[in-house]
Amino acid sequence: MSKRIKQLVVAYGMVLPAFLTVMLTVAYPIALAVVRSFRDQSTGAFTFSNYTFFFTTAAQFKNLVYTLFVVVMTVAIAIFVAYLLALYLRFSHSRISRTIGALYLLPRFVPAMCAVYAMITIIRDSGLINRIGLLFGKDIHLGLMYHAQGLIVMNLWFNIPFAAMMITAGLGAIPDSIIEGARDVGAGRFKVLTSMILPLSVKDVIIAATFVWMTNVGSFTTPYLMGGNSPKMLGIALFDQFNKYLSYNRAAALSVIMFLICAVSAGVYIYSNLKDTEWEMQ
Amino acid sequence: MFKMLNPKRFYHAVGKHKFWEFIILAVFILFFYGPLCNMIMLAFADKYEVPNVLPQVWGIKWWQYIFQQKSLVTSMIQSFIIAIITSLLSMVICIPAAYSIARFKYPARKVFMFSFLLTNAFPKLGIYTSIAVLFYKYGLMGTYPGVIIIHLINSMMFMVWLPASAFRSVHRQQEEAARDVGAGPIRTFFKVTMPMAMPGISVATLYTFLASMEEAQGTMLVGMGRIQTMPVAMYGIILDSSAVQIGAVFAILLILPSVVMIFVMRKYIGPEAIAGGFKMK
Repeated sequence: MSKRIKQLVVAYGMVLPAFLTVMLTVAYPIALAVVRSFRDQSTGAFTFSNYTFFFTTAAQFKNLVYTLFVVVMTVAIAIFVAYLLALYLRFSHSRISRTIGALYLLPRFVPAMCAVYAMITIIRDSGLINRIGLLFGKDIHLGLMYHAQGLIVMNLWFNIPFAAMMITAGLGAIPDSIIEGARDVGAGRFKVLTSMILPLSVKDVIIAATFVWMTNVGSFTTPYLMGGNSPKMLGIALFDQFNKYLSYNRAAALSVIMFLICAVSAGVYIYSNLKDTEWEMQ
Repeated sequence: MFKMLNPKRFYHAVGKHKFWEFIILAVFILFFYGPLCNMIMLAFADKYEVPNVLPQVWGIKWWQYIFQQKSLVTSMIQSFIIAIITSLLSMVICIPAAYSIARFKYPARKVFMFSFLLTNAFPKLGIYTSIAVLFYKYGLMGTYPGVIIIHLINSMMFMVWLPASAFRSVHRQQEEAARDVGAGPIRTFFKVTMPMAMPGISVATLYTFLASMEEAQGTMLVGMGRIQTMPVAMYGIILDSSAVQIGAVFAILLILPSVVMIFVMRKYIGPEAIAGGFKMK
């Protein structure tokens, strides 16, 4: 028994510093922010007005809808393309697929603003595409800068490789033998895809979608450098509330709203992980 | 050779399957690497006026310009110092936690595990602004400790989950064997467990270092302009740069650490290794 206690002391002793760091630097400030979001900035009285502000003010509500549109489009397109790419990387063994397999990890490590800047040099009005167009006598204006489509294109640049990487890792765990087994008993390619590969990889798709969703709801760098002034992504709106208008309580309320939008996917994620019986809590 | 430039001829020459593969490759390279290549070209363009696709004059004028700017050079040094301290601190705090979660069984273990998801589930900027309010109170705004705390939070989930999955894949029997021949628990950890989990730990540390190198929004908010890391300086350059080349040169300097690190650690970096940091298997 005393050995068990000793082990518990060691286990807790090792996990607590990290846990307390998260509690102190993340959970505690968030808890304070939640409390603050229900307080009036000047009087400190209880109020819902910090929240209603973002739903009743036309410009703010537009920001919310705009953000949801960009995020939903990003998640949908990124996951769809990433799944196809992952299937290709997993089941094709050609030189080209190996080349792509070696190259698609780099975008994950390119600092966000460098990638955004590189994209700007291509799509801006005096950018590469416009200049190439001029060679052929056409004045091309993509209209991507300061528009939702531009943000989505940039988000895809970041998120397709990430999602493809997560899904490839999942597909890699499916042994060739069971697929061959299915083919041997007469299942067609499509049947193998829908009734074996999709169900076996759905968890990785959920994980990928969750992280794509969460990182894009609060994205800052891309809209800061490429986004328009109105409507704005919520990340920029939050920065403005805090830095420009110094209304900390509204900023807190907006953080909570964004958190709730993220929480939808975090909930799905945790649920799908808890179903996993592999190393359940004893 | 030039006959191949006709798509129809090319299609019949290589066959349907190969043809589509080449199309995939071309789209992939153009979309993901086109912008980066264009930026590298711009960095070496002394003169690059509107209708020209290629620079009129090549050269390293803008590189010299960057290295003459004292503030930009200082920002590079600051970036490195902060990234190194963040990585070390993160290792000291997180790796024991990862080991504990991977090896011991105790109540509320999953609660500890998921607590690290909090750093990624709550919008980053929401966390930063919430912390900033506290930092104002305790005088941490615009200081190194403040900025380092922000960077630390960013990487904690990854730094716990990835080494945890690495530790879990080390067989317990191997540790027991070492214990049987008389090694103490600490020696077993450093001589057996740690080396075997090293790939996971190094990828996590690399990730932490690079994430710290590129962190911009939190540093801008908490650093208040007093702490100018490279990415913060980059915001300024992008938003009010007179010449597009300055941004290009600086962006390449910012990417360089990533490229070097990935090259050095290419053996360990793969989809499986990175994906381990995002799930709890």
